[in-house]
Amino acid sequence: MQSKQYSVKVYECGIDDEERFIAFFNTNYALFKDHLIVINGYLSQNIKNYLNSKSLTFINNIKLPRGRSRKALEEEFSIQKRECDIDRIIAQTELEKLSNRLQNNLSVIDEIVRSGRVIEIDGDLLLLNRVNSGATIYTSGNLIITQLVEGSIRCDGNFMIIMASSKANIIFHGVEIDSKFLEDRLNRVELKGEEIVINPVLKRRQIGYCNSSN
Amino acid sequence: MGIVIAVISGKGGVGKTTAVANLGLGVAMNGKRCAVVDFDIGQRNLDMILGLENRVVYDIVQVMDGEASLKQALIKSKVDDNLRFLAASQSKDKRVLNSKKVQKLVKELKDNFDYVILDSPAGIESGFEHTIEFADAAIIVVNPEVSSIRDADRAIGILDSKSQKVKDGGEVAKYLIINRIVADMVQSGEMLKSDDILDILNIKLVGKVPEDSGVIDASNQGKPVILDKHSIAGQAYKRISARLCGKKIDMKDVEVTDSSLFKKLAGIFK
Repeated sequence: MQSKQYSVKVYECGIDDEERFIAFFNTNYALFKDHLIVINGYLSQNIKNYLNSKSLTFINNIKLPRGRSRKALEEEFSIQKRECDIDRIIAQTELEKLSNRLQNNLSVIDEIVRSGRVIEIDGDLLLLNRVNSGATIYTSGNLIITQLVEGSIRCDGNFMIIMASSKANIIFHGVEIDSKFLEDRLNRVELKGEEIVINPVLKRRQIGYCNSSN
Repeated sequence: MGIVIAVISGKGGVGKTTAVANLGLGVAMNGKRCAVVDFDIGQRNLDMILGLENRVVYDIVQVMDGEASLKQALIKSKVDDNLRFLAASQSKDKRVLNSKKVQKLVKELKDNFDYVILDSPAGIESGFEHTIEFADAAIIVVNPEVSSIRDADRAIGILDSKSQKVKDGGEVAKYLIINRIVADMVQSGEMLKSDDILDILNIKLVGKVPEDSGVIDASNQGKPVILDKHSIAGQAYKRISARLCGKKIDMKDVEVTDSSLFKKLAGIFK
Protein backbone atom coordinates (compact mmCIF):
# COMPACT_ATOMS: atom_id res chain seq x y z
CA MET A 1 0.00 0.00 0.00
CA GLN A 2 1.27 3.43 -0.89
CA SER A 3 0.14 6.37 1.15
CA LYS A 4 0.94 10.01 1.69
CA GLN A 5 0.30 12.27 4.55
CA TYR A 6 0.12 16.03 4.33
CA SER A 7 -1.51 19.08 5.89
CA VAL A 8 -3.99 21.19 3.97
CA LYS A 9 -5.09 24.72 4.54
CA VAL A 10 -8.78 25.03 5.00
CA TYR A 11 -11.06 28.03 4.64
CA GLU A 12 -14.33 27.40 6.40
CA CYS A 13 -17.40 29.64 6.11
CA GLY A 14 -21.14 29.79 5.92
CA ILE A 15 -23.03 31.73 3.26
CA ASP A 16 -25.63 34.32 4.22
CA ASP A 17 -25.43 36.60 1.19
CA GLU A 18 -24.30 35.04 -2.05
CA GLU A 19 -23.29 38.29 -3.73
CA ARG A 20 -21.15 39.38 -0.83
CA PHE A 21 -19.53 35.97 -0.80
CA ILE A 22 -18.70 36.15 -4.50
CA ALA A 23 -17.38 39.67 -4.12
CA PHE A 24 -15.22 38.62 -1.14
CA PHE A 25 -13.79 35.68 -3.07
CA ASN A 26 -13.12 37.78 -6.13
CA THR A 27 -11.05 40.24 -4.15
CA ASN A 28 -9.24 37.61 -2.07
CA TYR A 29 -8.90 34.97 -4.80
CA ALA A 30 -5.13 34.97 -4.64
CA LEU A 31 -5.32 34.20 -0.94
CA PHE A 32 -7.76 31.28 -1.21
CA LYS A 33 -6.77 29.58 -4.42
CA ASP A 34 -4.63 26.96 -2.60
CA HIS A 35 -7.15 26.39 0.19
CA LEU A 36 -9.72 23.72 0.61
CA ILE A 37 -13.03 25.52 0.87
CA VAL A 38 -15.50 24.14 3.35
CA ILE A 39 -19.01 25.52 3.14
CA ASN A 40 -21.25 25.00 6.13
CA GLY A 41 -24.99 25.16 5.63
CA TYR A 42 -26.82 25.49 2.35
CA LEU A 43 -24.80 25.51 -0.86
CA SER A 44 -26.68 26.78 -3.93
CA GLN A 45 -26.07 25.73 -7.52
CA ASN A 46 -25.07 29.29 -8.28
CA ILE A 47 -22.18 29.24 -5.80
CA LYS A 48 -21.14 25.77 -6.95
CA ASN A 49 -20.90 27.03 -10.51
CA TYR A 50 -18.92 30.04 -9.34
CA LEU A 51 -16.42 27.93 -7.32
CA ASN A 52 -16.03 25.50 -10.23
CA SER A 53 -15.40 28.33 -12.63
CA LYS A 54 -12.61 29.55 -10.34
CA SER A 55 -11.40 25.87 -10.12
CA LEU A 56 -11.45 25.93 -6.34
CA THR A 57 -11.75 22.66 -4.42
CA PHE A 58 -14.69 22.70 -2.10
CA ILE A 59 -16.77 20.43 0.10
CA ASN A 60 -20.05 20.99 1.78
CA ASN A 61 -21.10 20.27 5.37
CA ILE A 62 -18.24 18.21 6.65
CA LYS A 63 -16.72 17.92 10.07
CA LEU A 64 -12.99 18.11 9.76
CA PRO A 65 -10.71 16.61 12.40
CA ARG A 66 -8.95 19.40 14.15
CA GLY A 67 -5.40 19.11 15.47
CA ARG A 68 -4.62 20.04 19.05
CA SER A 69 -2.38 22.84 19.96
CA ARG A 70 1.34 22.24 19.66
CA LYS A 71 1.77 22.41 23.42
CA ALA A 72 -0.84 19.75 24.12
CA LEU A 73 0.72 17.53 21.48
CA GLU A 74 4.16 17.83 22.97
CA GLU A 75 2.85 17.01 26.43
CA GLU A 76 1.02 13.94 25.24
CA PHE A 77 4.04 12.78 23.32
CA SER A 78 6.31 13.08 26.34
CA ILE A 79 3.86 11.09 28.53
CA GLN A 80 3.70 8.39 25.89
CA LYS A 81 7.44 8.28 25.65
CA ARG A 82 7.82 7.92 29.41
CA GLU A 83 5.30 5.05 29.57
CA CYS A 84 6.96 3.35 26.66
CA ASP A 85 10.36 3.64 28.38
CA ILE A 86 8.99 2.07 31.56
CA ASP A 87 7.44 -0.80 29.55
CA ARG A 88 10.69 -1.36 27.74
CA ILE A 89 12.70 -1.49 30.97
CA ILE A 90 10.25 -3.92 32.55
CA ALA A 91 10.29 -6.15 29.46
CA GLN A 92 14.06 -6.06 29.35
CA THR A 93 14.54 -7.03 32.98
CA GLU A 94 11.92 -9.80 32.65
CA LEU A 95 13.64 -11.08 29.54
CA GLU A 96 17.01 -10.97 31.24
CA LYS A 97 15.62 -12.90 34.19
CA LEU A 98 14.14 -15.46 31.82
CA SER A 99 17.20 -15.81 29.66
CA ASN A 100 19.37 -16.13 32.74
CA ARG A 101 17.33 -19.17 33.68
CA LEU A 102 16.88 -20.37 30.13
CA GLN A 103 20.45 -20.41 29.00
CA ASN A 104 22.06 -21.28 32.28
CA ASN A 105 24.34 -24.20 31.55
CA LEU A 106 22.13 -25.82 28.94
CA SER A 107 23.09 -29.49 28.77
CA VAL A 108 22.11 -31.68 25.87
CA ILE A 109 22.09 -35.44 26.37
CA ASP A 110 21.32 -37.87 23.60
CA GLU A 111 21.61 -41.26 25.19
CA ILE A 112 19.13 -43.59 26.75
CA VAL A 113 19.00 -43.01 30.52
CA ARG A 114 19.03 -46.50 31.92
CA SER A 115 17.78 -47.85 35.21
CA GLY A 116 19.93 -46.90 38.19
CA ARG A 117 21.45 -43.83 36.55
CA VAL A 118 21.07 -40.51 38.34
CA ILE A 119 21.55 -37.30 36.37
CA GLU A 120 21.76 -34.06 38.33
CA ILE A 121 21.90 -30.88 36.28
CA ASP A 122 22.33 -27.41 37.70
CA GLY A 123 20.68 -25.55 34.85
CA ASP A 124 18.62 -26.57 31.85
CA LEU A 125 18.52 -29.98 30.23
CA LEU A 126 17.48 -31.07 26.78
CA LEU A 127 17.24 -34.85 26.69
CA LEU A 128 16.62 -36.50 23.34
CA ASN A 129 16.13 -40.07 24.50
CA ARG A 130 14.15 -42.27 26.87
CA VAL A 131 14.25 -42.21 30.65
CA ASN A 132 13.80 -45.81 31.70
CA SER A 133 12.16 -47.12 34.83
CA GLY A 134 14.52 -46.79 37.80
CA ALA A 135 16.45 -43.79 36.44
CA THR A 136 16.35 -40.37 38.11
CA ILE A 137 16.77 -36.91 36.63
CA TYR A 138 17.06 -33.71 38.62
CA THR A 139 17.29 -30.24 37.07
CA SER A 140 17.32 -26.88 38.79
CA GLY A 141 16.40 -25.28 35.46
CA ASN A 142 14.01 -26.08 32.67
CA LEU A 143 13.65 -29.55 31.30
CA ILE A 144 12.68 -30.87 27.90
CA ILE A 145 12.57 -34.61 27.24
CA THR A 146 11.50 -35.64 23.76
CA GLN A 147 10.97 -39.34 24.43
CA LEU A 148 8.93 -41.35 26.91
CA VAL A 149 9.70 -41.00 30.61
CA GLU A 150 9.24 -44.05 32.83
CA GLY A 151 11.61 -43.05 35.62
CA SER A 152 11.66 -40.25 38.18
CA ILE A 153 11.86 -36.56 37.34
CA ARG A 154 12.49 -33.63 39.68
CA CYS A 155 12.33 -30.25 37.97
CA ASP A 156 12.57 -26.84 39.64
CA GLY A 157 12.73 -24.72 36.49
CA ASN A 158 10.17 -22.40 34.95
CA PHE A 159 8.79 -25.11 32.74
CA MET A 160 9.24 -28.65 31.59
CA ILE A 161 8.05 -30.38 28.44
CA ILE A 162 7.67 -34.14 28.72
CA MET A 163 5.63 -37.22 27.95
CA ALA A 164 5.32 -39.64 30.86
CA SER A 165 4.04 -43.17 31.21
CA SER A 166 1.86 -44.17 34.12
CA LYS A 167 4.92 -45.72 35.82
CA ALA A 168 6.75 -42.40 35.95
CA ASN A 169 7.16 -40.28 39.05
CA ILE A 170 7.12 -36.61 38.13
CA ILE A 171 7.74 -33.84 40.65
CA PHE A 172 7.63 -30.19 39.59
CA HIS A 173 8.58 -27.65 42.28
CA GLY A 174 7.87 -30.22 44.97
CA VAL A 175 4.42 -31.07 43.62
CA GLU A 176 3.77 -34.55 42.34
CA ILE A 177 2.10 -34.45 38.94
CA ASP A 178 -0.28 -37.23 38.04
CA SER A 179 0.89 -38.91 34.87
CA LYS A 180 -2.65 -38.93 33.48
CA PHE A 181 -2.11 -35.23 32.71
CA LEU A 182 1.07 -36.06 30.82
CA GLU A 183 -0.22 -38.63 28.37
CA ASP A 184 -0.15 -36.49 25.25
CA ARG A 185 2.80 -36.77 22.91
CA LEU A 186 4.39 -33.74 24.62
CA ASN A 187 3.04 -31.70 27.52
CA ARG A 188 4.18 -28.37 28.86
CA VAL A 189 4.11 -28.01 32.61
CA GLU A 190 4.82 -24.47 33.73
CA LEU A 191 4.66 -22.28 36.75
CA LYS A 192 2.35 -19.27 36.31
CA GLY A 193 2.43 -17.22 39.47
CA GLU A 194 1.51 -19.69 42.20
CA GLU A 195 -0.24 -22.11 39.86
CA ILE A 196 1.06 -25.04 37.88
CA VAL A 197 -0.44 -25.10 34.40
CA ILE A 198 -0.31 -28.14 32.14
CA ASN A 199 -0.98 -27.85 28.42
CA PRO A 200 -0.49 -30.32 25.58
CA VAL A 201 2.13 -29.18 23.10
CA LEU A 202 1.73 -32.10 20.73
CA LYS A 203 -1.35 -34.29 20.75
CA ARG A 204 -0.89 -37.99 20.75
CA ARG A 205 -1.60 -39.49 17.38
CA GLN A 206 -5.06 -41.02 17.32
CA ILE A 207 -3.68 -44.37 16.30
CA GLY A 208 -2.22 -44.64 19.77
CA TYR A 209 -5.67 -45.03 21.22
CA CYS A 210 -6.79 -47.72 18.83
CA ASN A 211 -7.03 -51.09 20.47
CA SER A 212 -7.22 -54.13 18.30
CA SER A 213 -10.71 -55.45 18.71
CA ASN A 214 -11.60 -59.05 18.22
CA MET B 1 42.11 -64.31 18.26
CA GLY B 2 38.59 -65.02 19.37
CA ILE B 3 35.69 -62.97 20.62
CA VAL B 4 34.65 -62.84 24.26
CA ILE B 5 30.92 -62.74 24.89
CA ALA B 6 29.54 -62.17 28.39
CA VAL B 7 26.04 -63.48 28.96
CA ILE B 8 24.30 -61.26 31.49
CA SER B 9 20.78 -60.58 32.73
CA GLY B 10 20.74 -58.57 35.92
CA LYS B 11 17.87 -60.56 37.37
CA GLY B 12 18.39 -64.19 38.30
CA GLY B 13 16.46 -67.14 36.95
CA VAL B 14 15.78 -65.80 33.48
CA GLY B 15 17.75 -68.55 31.77
CA LYS B 16 21.30 -67.23 31.53
CA THR B 17 23.04 -70.49 32.24
CA THR B 18 20.71 -72.43 29.95
CA ALA B 19 21.42 -69.91 27.20
CA VAL B 20 25.19 -70.24 27.73
CA ALA B 21 25.06 -74.03 27.56
CA ASN B 22 22.92 -74.04 24.44
CA LEU B 23 24.73 -71.26 22.61
CA GLY B 24 28.12 -72.76 23.46
CA LEU B 25 27.04 -76.07 22.03
CA GLY B 26 25.30 -74.40 19.08
CA VAL B 27 28.38 -72.38 18.16
CA ALA B 28 30.55 -75.50 18.47
CA MET B 29 28.14 -77.40 16.24
CA ASN B 30 28.68 -74.65 13.65
CA GLY B 31 32.32 -75.72 13.54
CA LYS B 32 33.79 -72.98 15.74
CA ARG B 33 36.14 -73.66 18.64
CA CYS B 34 34.22 -72.51 21.66
CA ALA B 35 34.92 -72.28 25.38
CA VAL B 36 32.17 -71.74 27.92
CA VAL B 37 33.26 -70.41 31.30
CA ASP B 38 31.19 -70.39 34.46
CA PHE B 39 31.92 -67.13 36.28
CA ASP B 40 29.36 -67.74 38.98
CA ILE B 41 31.95 -68.46 41.65
CA GLY B 42 30.43 -70.26 44.61
CA GLN B 43 27.28 -71.27 42.76
CA ARG B 44 28.37 -73.54 40.01
CA ASN B 45 25.67 -75.02 37.79
CA LEU B 46 26.74 -74.80 34.18
CA ASP B 47 28.52 -78.14 34.63
CA MET B 48 25.21 -79.84 35.45
CA ILE B 49 23.37 -78.40 32.50
CA LEU B 50 26.17 -79.48 30.16
CA GLY B 51 26.19 -82.93 31.76
CA LEU B 52 29.83 -82.62 32.80
CA GLU B 53 29.27 -82.66 36.55
CA ASN B 54 31.45 -85.63 37.27
CA ARG B 55 34.34 -84.52 35.05
CA VAL B 56 35.28 -81.40 36.98
CA VAL B 57 38.76 -81.72 38.47
CA TYR B 58 40.17 -78.21 38.41
CA ASP B 59 38.16 -75.00 38.50
CA ILE B 60 38.59 -71.42 37.35
CA VAL B 61 40.01 -70.21 40.68
CA GLN B 62 42.71 -72.85 40.63
CA VAL B 63 43.65 -71.80 37.09
CA MET B 64 43.82 -68.15 38.06
CA ASP B 65 45.92 -68.93 41.09
CA GLY B 66 48.28 -71.01 39.01
CA GLU B 67 47.49 -74.29 40.78
CA ALA B 68 46.48 -75.83 37.46
CA SER B 69 47.07 -74.95 33.83
CA LEU B 70 44.19 -73.87 31.62
CA LYS B 71 44.68 -76.97 29.49
CA GLN B 72 44.27 -79.23 32.52
CA ALA B 73 41.16 -77.45 33.71
CA LEU B 74 39.28 -77.27 30.40
CA ILE B 75 36.80 -80.12 30.08
CA LYS B 76 35.95 -81.50 26.66
CA SER B 77 32.27 -81.84 25.89
CA LYS B 78 30.87 -85.31 25.36
CA VAL B 79 28.69 -84.07 22.53
CA ASP B 80 30.93 -81.87 20.39
CA ASP B 81 34.70 -81.84 20.09
CA ASN B 82 34.79 -78.11 19.49
CA LEU B 83 33.32 -77.30 22.88
CA ARG B 84 35.35 -76.90 26.08
CA PHE B 85 34.11 -76.02 29.51
CA LEU B 86 35.79 -74.29 32.45
CA ALA B 87 33.99 -74.79 35.73
CA ALA B 88 33.46 -72.28 38.49
CA SER B 89 34.67 -72.98 41.98
CA GLN B 90 31.98 -74.29 44.27
CA SER B 91 33.83 -73.79 47.55
CA LYS B 92 35.23 -70.26 47.17
CA ASP B 93 33.24 -67.05 46.76
CA LYS B 94 33.34 -64.08 44.39
CA ARG B 95 35.89 -62.14 46.44
CA VAL B 96 38.74 -64.30 45.16
CA LEU B 97 38.47 -62.69 41.70
CA ASN B 98 40.55 -59.69 40.77
CA SER B 99 40.91 -57.77 37.55
CA LYS B 100 44.49 -58.81 36.78
CA LYS B 101 43.79 -62.52 37.19
CA VAL B 102 40.59 -62.27 35.15
CA GLN B 103 42.33 -60.37 32.37
CA LYS B 104 45.12 -62.94 32.13
CA LEU B 105 42.65 -65.82 31.99
CA VAL B 106 40.40 -64.15 29.44
CA LYS B 107 43.37 -63.34 27.21
CA GLU B 108 44.60 -66.91 27.31
CA LEU B 109 41.14 -68.21 26.40
CA LYS B 110 40.82 -65.64 23.63
CA ASP B 111 44.08 -66.80 22.10
CA ASN B 112 42.95 -70.42 21.99
CA PHE B 113 39.30 -70.22 20.94
CA ASP B 114 37.07 -68.58 18.32
CA TYR B 115 34.32 -67.94 20.82
CA VAL B 116 34.63 -67.53 24.58
CA ILE B 117 31.25 -67.40 26.32
CA LEU B 118 31.22 -66.23 29.94
CA ASP B 119 28.29 -67.11 32.17
CA SER B 120 27.82 -64.15 34.49
CA PRO B 121 26.38 -64.45 37.97
CA ALA B 122 23.01 -62.79 38.54
CA GLY B 123 23.03 -59.36 40.13
CA ILE B 124 25.44 -56.52 39.52
CA GLU B 125 28.13 -57.08 42.15
CA SER B 126 31.83 -57.73 41.71
CA GLY B 127 31.34 -61.14 40.09
CA PHE B 128 29.22 -59.53 37.38
CA GLU B 129 31.67 -56.68 36.95
CA HIS B 130 34.59 -59.07 36.46
CA THR B 131 32.62 -60.98 33.85
CA ILE B 132 31.90 -57.92 31.73
CA GLU B 133 35.21 -56.20 32.34
CA PHE B 134 37.12 -57.75 29.44
CA ALA B 135 34.24 -58.80 27.22
CA ASP B 136 34.06 -57.72 23.56
CA ALA B 137 30.34 -58.28 23.37
CA ALA B 138 27.47 -59.03 25.68
CA ILE B 139 24.33 -61.05 25.29
CA ILE B 140 21.57 -59.82 27.54
CA VAL B 141 18.96 -62.42 28.43
CA VAL B 142 15.56 -61.15 29.53
CA ASN B 143 12.11 -62.56 30.18
CA PRO B 144 9.14 -60.58 28.88
CA GLU B 145 8.29 -59.09 32.26
CA VAL B 146 8.96 -55.66 33.76
CA SER B 147 11.27 -56.67 36.61
CA SER B 148 13.57 -58.57 34.29
CA ILE B 149 13.62 -55.65 31.85
CA ARG B 150 14.48 -53.11 34.52
CA ASP B 151 17.30 -55.24 35.95
CA ALA B 152 18.66 -55.85 32.46
CA ASP B 153 18.49 -52.10 31.81
CA ARG B 154 20.57 -51.52 34.93
CA ALA B 155 23.05 -54.22 33.92
CA ILE B 156 23.45 -52.62 30.48
CA GLY B 157 24.07 -49.27 32.16
CA ILE B 158 26.89 -50.77 34.23
CA LEU B 159 28.24 -52.59 31.19
CA ASP B 160 28.39 -49.27 29.34
CA SER B 161 30.32 -47.60 32.13
CA LYS B 162 32.59 -50.25 33.61
CA SER B 163 33.78 -52.42 30.76
CA GLN B 164 37.43 -52.04 29.76
CA LYS B 165 36.49 -51.61 26.11
CA VAL B 166 34.33 -48.59 26.96
CA LYS B 167 37.07 -47.13 29.15
CA ASP B 168 39.41 -47.41 26.15
CA GLY B 169 36.93 -45.38 24.12
CA GLY B 170 35.26 -48.29 22.35
CA GLU B 171 31.83 -49.80 22.62
CA VAL B 172 30.71 -53.22 23.75
CA ALA B 173 28.37 -54.81 21.22
CA LYS B 174 25.09 -55.71 22.93
CA TYR B 175 22.64 -58.36 21.80
CA LEU B 176 19.30 -59.22 23.28
CA ILE B 177 17.72 -62.62 23.77
CA ILE B 178 14.12 -62.63 24.90
CA ASN B 179 13.62 -65.92 26.70
CA ARG B 180 10.54 -67.84 27.77
CA ILE B 181 8.01 -66.17 25.50
CA VAL B 182 4.49 -67.54 25.79
CA ALA B 183 2.74 -66.64 22.54
CA ASP B 184 -0.77 -66.81 24.02
CA MET B 185 0.12 -64.40 26.80
CA VAL B 186 1.76 -61.95 24.41
CA GLN B 187 -1.34 -62.07 22.21
CA SER B 188 -3.64 -61.44 25.17
CA GLY B 189 -1.45 -58.56 26.35
CA GLU B 190 -0.38 -60.20 29.62
CA MET B 191 3.22 -60.44 28.48
CA LEU B 192 5.35 -57.62 27.10
CA LYS B 193 5.72 -57.53 23.33
CA SER B 194 9.25 -57.79 22.00
CA ASP B 195 8.85 -54.42 20.25
CA ASP B 196 8.14 -52.77 23.60
CA ILE B 197 11.16 -54.46 25.17
CA LEU B 198 13.36 -53.29 22.31
CA ASP B 199 12.00 -49.76 22.73
CA ILE B 200 13.03 -49.76 26.37
CA LEU B 201 16.42 -51.43 26.09
CA ASN B 202 17.36 -50.05 22.67
CA ILE B 203 19.79 -52.82 21.72
CA LYS B 204 19.95 -55.29 18.86
CA LEU B 205 17.75 -58.36 19.03
CA VAL B 206 19.56 -61.61 18.31
CA GLY B 207 16.74 -64.02 19.03
CA LYS B 208 13.50 -64.92 20.75
CA VAL B 209 13.16 -68.18 22.63
CA PRO B 210 9.68 -69.55 23.35
CA GLU B 211 8.78 -71.13 26.66
CA ASP B 212 9.37 -74.86 26.43
CA SER B 213 8.77 -77.40 29.17
CA GLY B 214 11.48 -79.57 27.63
CA VAL B 215 14.16 -77.15 28.87
CA ILE B 216 13.87 -78.23 32.51
CA ASP B 217 14.05 -81.90 31.66
CA ALA B 218 17.00 -81.26 29.35
CA SER B 219 18.82 -79.38 32.13
CA ASN B 220 18.13 -82.15 34.62
CA GLN B 221 19.52 -84.74 32.27
CA GLY B 222 22.53 -82.64 31.35
CA LYS B 223 21.64 -82.63 27.67
CA PRO B 224 21.14 -79.04 26.42
CA VAL B 225 17.80 -78.61 24.71
CA ILE B 226 19.48 -77.64 21.44
CA LEU B 227 20.17 -81.35 20.92
CA ASP B 228 16.43 -82.08 20.89
CA LYS B 229 15.29 -81.72 17.29
CA HIS B 230 11.62 -81.42 18.26
CA SER B 231 12.04 -78.75 20.92
CA ILE B 232 10.90 -75.25 19.91
CA ALA B 233 13.37 -73.67 22.36
CA GLY B 234 16.14 -75.87 20.96
CA GLN B 235 15.30 -74.68 17.44
CA ALA B 236 15.41 -71.08 18.63
CA TYR B 237 18.86 -71.59 20.18
CA LYS B 238 20.02 -73.21 16.95
CA ARG B 239 18.98 -70.10 15.01
CA ILE B 240 20.66 -67.78 17.51
CA SER B 241 23.89 -69.80 17.43
CA ALA B 242 23.94 -69.63 13.63
CA ARG B 243 23.40 -65.85 13.82
CA LEU B 244 26.31 -65.55 16.27
CA CYS B 245 28.44 -67.38 13.70
CA GLY B 246 27.59 -64.73 11.13
CA LYS B 247 24.86 -66.54 9.23
CA LYS B 248 21.83 -64.61 8.07
CA ILE B 249 18.72 -66.23 9.45
CA ASP B 250 15.31 -64.58 9.48
CA MET B 251 13.73 -63.83 12.82
CA LYS B 252 10.96 -66.34 13.51
CA ASP B 253 7.86 -64.83 15.02
CA VAL B 254 7.42 -66.95 18.12
CA GLU B 255 4.87 -64.50 19.51
CA VAL B 256 2.15 -65.63 17.13
CA THR B 257 0.15 -68.66 18.19
CA ASP B 258 -0.93 -71.21 15.61
CA SER B 259 -4.56 -70.35 16.23
CA SER B 260 -4.03 -66.64 15.66
CA LEU B 261 -2.09 -67.43 12.51
CA PHE B 262 -5.08 -69.45 11.41
CA LYS B 263 -7.36 -66.55 12.21
CA LYS B 264 -5.22 -64.26 10.09
CA LEU B 265 -5.36 -66.69 7.19
CA ALA B 266 -9.10 -67.07 7.60
CA GLY B 267 -9.37 -63.27 7.55
CA ILE B 268 -7.81 -63.17 4.10
CA PHE B 269 -10.57 -65.29 2.62
CA LYS B 270 -13.44 -63.39 4.18
